[in-house]
Amino acid sequence: MSPGEAPLPARFYPAGGDAHGHPARLAWDDGMLLVQPEDSPALRVPASQLRIEPRGFNHSQWAIAWAGEEGATHTHLLIVDDARIAPLRAAAPALFAAGDTTRRHSHRRFRVGIVLLAAIPLAFVGALLLSVEPLAERLVDHIPPGVEQQIGEAVLAHTRAAGPMITEGPAFDALQAIGKRLARPGEVLHFHLAARPELNAFAAPGGIVVVHSALMAGAGSAEEVAGVLAHEIAHVELRHSLRQIVKSAGLRIILTGLSGDYAPLGGWAAQLGELKFSRDAERAADARGLERLKEARIDPMGMLRFFETLAVNTPSGPALLSTHPATAERIDSLKAAIAAAPGAPAQSIGIDWEPVKNDLNGPPGK
Amino acid sequence: MTMDVVDYEIFGNEMQYVEVELDPGEAAIGEAGVMMYMQDGIAMDTLFGDGSQQQSGLFGKLMGAGKRLLTGESLFTTVYHNESSGKRRVAFAAPYPGKIVPVNLSQLGGTLICQKDSFLAAAKGVSLGIAFQKKLGVGLFGGEGFIMQKLDGDGMAFIHAGGTLLEKTLAPGETLRVDTGCVVAFQPSVDFDIQYAGKIKTALFGGEGLFFATLRGPGRIWLQSLPLSRLADRIVMASRMAGGGGKESGSLLGGIGLGSLLGDDE
Repeated sequence: MSPGEAPLPARFYPAGGDAHGHPARLAWDDGMLLVQPEDSPALRVPASQLRIEPRGFNHSQWAIAWAGEEGATHTHLLIVDDARIAPLRAAAPALFAAGDTTRRHSHRRFRVGIVLLAAIPLAFVGALLLSVEPLAERLVDHIPPGVEQQIGEAVLAHTRAAGPMITEGPAFDALQAIGKRLARPGEVLHFHLAARPELNAFAAPGGIVVVHSALMAGAGSAEEVAGVLAHEIAHVELRHSLRQIVKSAGLRIILTGLSGDYAPLGGWAAQLGELKFSRDAERAADARGLERLKEARIDPMGMLRFFETLAVNTPSGPALLSTHPATAERIDSLKAAIAAAPGAPAQSIGIDWEPVKNDLNGPPGK
Repeated sequence: MTMDVVDYEIFGNEMQYVEVELDPGEAAIGEAGVMMYMQDGIAMDTLFGDGSQQQSGLFGKLMGAGKRLLTGESLFTTVYHNESSGKRRVAFAAPYPGKIVPVNLSQLGGTLICQKDSFLAAAKGVSLGIAFQKKLGVGLFGGEGFIMQKLDGDGMAFIHAGGTLLEKTLAPGETLRVDTGCVVAFQPSVDFDIQYAGKIKTALFGGEGLFFATLRGPGRIWLQSLPLSRLADRIVMASRMAGGGGKESGSLLGGIGLGSLLGDDE
C-alpha cells in the first residue's frame, strides 16, 4: 500500500478514551502505520509495536493494538473490517500470520464440530440398525408356539383377504395328500392353496405353507410339488419366517419412529407373505428339504426338475425364483447332495397329475 | 448502492408501530405481514428474495430467497413505493409486545448482526443476509441459534424485540454477561461468546441455565428484556390446558418454580 492509495476506513479507540471510538483512516508509509483520526492529530506507529488479531463476530474484523503513551495502562485499538483489510495485509503480510492461523483453526474447529454433531444421530441410527439382527435372533428363541401360531394366522388372514382360496377339488386334495406324506409323525402342518397367477409358495410361522395354484398347475408331477413343499416346510422348521418377521418388524418400528409417521406400520403386516430370506437360509432350507424328501421316500429328482423347469422356462424370473437367489448354484449343490447320498429307493406318491392340472386350468367359472 | 433517506415516527409504548414517511419516488421494504396501513399513492410490490439490488439474475434471487427461508422468514419481502407527487406515509407494526429500535446503518459502519426474526422494515437498498454463527458452543447454547441476520447498507433499518430494549456501547475489552436469548443485535466488532455459569449449584438452581452469553467490546449492542420465547413459555405454563393454575390467584406452591431447574429460557 503506497501513500498515494486510498486510505482504508477504521474505527479508532484511543487509550483511555470513550467507548464510542472515532472514525479514522489508515495508511501504510515506509514501515509505519499512519492513523488519521477525523477529529484528532495523526499518529505514526512503527510496525514492530503493532499486534494484529482477528476479532468480533465470526472473526469478521481485525483488531490492531499498540501500547499507549508511557505511563498509560491501556492500549490504543483500531477495528478494521476484514473486507477492507486487503491493502494493509499486502503491505505487511508478516503481521497477519498469527491471526490468520487463529482464524483457520477456529473455522476448522467449527467444521469438525458440525460434522461430529451430525455424526452422533447417524451413529445412533446405525447402531440401532446393526442391533436389530442380533436382537431379533434372541427374541425369536423366546417366542412361545402360541404367539407363532397367531402370527401365522395373521399372515394367512392377509392372504385370504388378498384373493380367493381353493378349499376343495382334486388340486386341493392332491396338496393335502402330498403334505401328509411329507409330515413327520406328530408334526402339525397346514397346507393352503391360493388361486394366484404367480409361481410361488411361501411358509408362515406356525407350520403354515401357502401354495399358489399356478405353481401346482406348472408342475409336471406330484414329486415336483413335494420338492417345493419340503423346501417350504424346512423354512417353517428353521423358523426362518418368524425370524424375518421379527427383524422386519423391528426395522419398521425404528424407521417409522425416525420419520415420525406411524401410518405405514399398519400396512407392513400385509407384506409378510413376500418375505425374502438370505441365501444361507435358502441353502439350509434346501438341505433340510432334501432330508425330508428322503425320509418320506419321495424322489428328490422332482425337486431338482421343478427348479430346472423354472430356471429354463421363465428366465425373466417368476416370483418364486426372485425370492430364491442364485438358482443355478442351488441346482448344482442339490445335484451334488443327491449324488453323494442317494438314500433309500423312492416310492411314487401315486397321484395322477393330469386331473390336478385340468382342475386348475379348467374352464373359467369352475 | 444509493439508499433512500426516510423520515419516521414511532408510536405506542409497549406495542409499537413505526410510521415511515416516503418522499416521492422513495421506497421502503417491510417484512411480509407487518404492514399496518398506508396512504394513497403508495404502491405495494412483492419481491422474491430481499429488496437489495445486489442480487442480479435468477440465481441471485433464489439465493436471497433461500437465505430468507433459513432465517425463518417468508420467501418474499414487500416493497412500498411512493408513486405520488407528495409525501406519503406507511406504517409497520411490531408483531408482539416490545420495542422498535431505529438503527442508522451508516453510523454503524454499514453492518449489523441481528437475532434472526428481529427485522421489521428498512429503507430500500438495505440488504438482508444471513450470518452463520461459526462458534459451535455459541450456536448451541448462546440462545440465538446458528443462524443470525445481517443487515448491510447505509440507510435506516427498524428492528424489533420483546420487552424493553437496551442499547449500550461497550468500550474496548468491556465484557457484559447476558442471559441467553436476550441478545438482539450487535456490531460485528463485538465478540459474542458463551461462558459456563461456573458453579453447578448456580447452573441448576440459579434459574439462568448452564451458560451466559458474553459480549465483549468495542461496539454497540442491543438487548431485549423479554424474549418472545420466554413470554410464550410463561403464557403456556399459565394456561388451563397446561394445568398451570386457571385460578386468579397463584397456586399454593406457585413460588417454588421447580420447572425452571435447568433454566427455561429457550
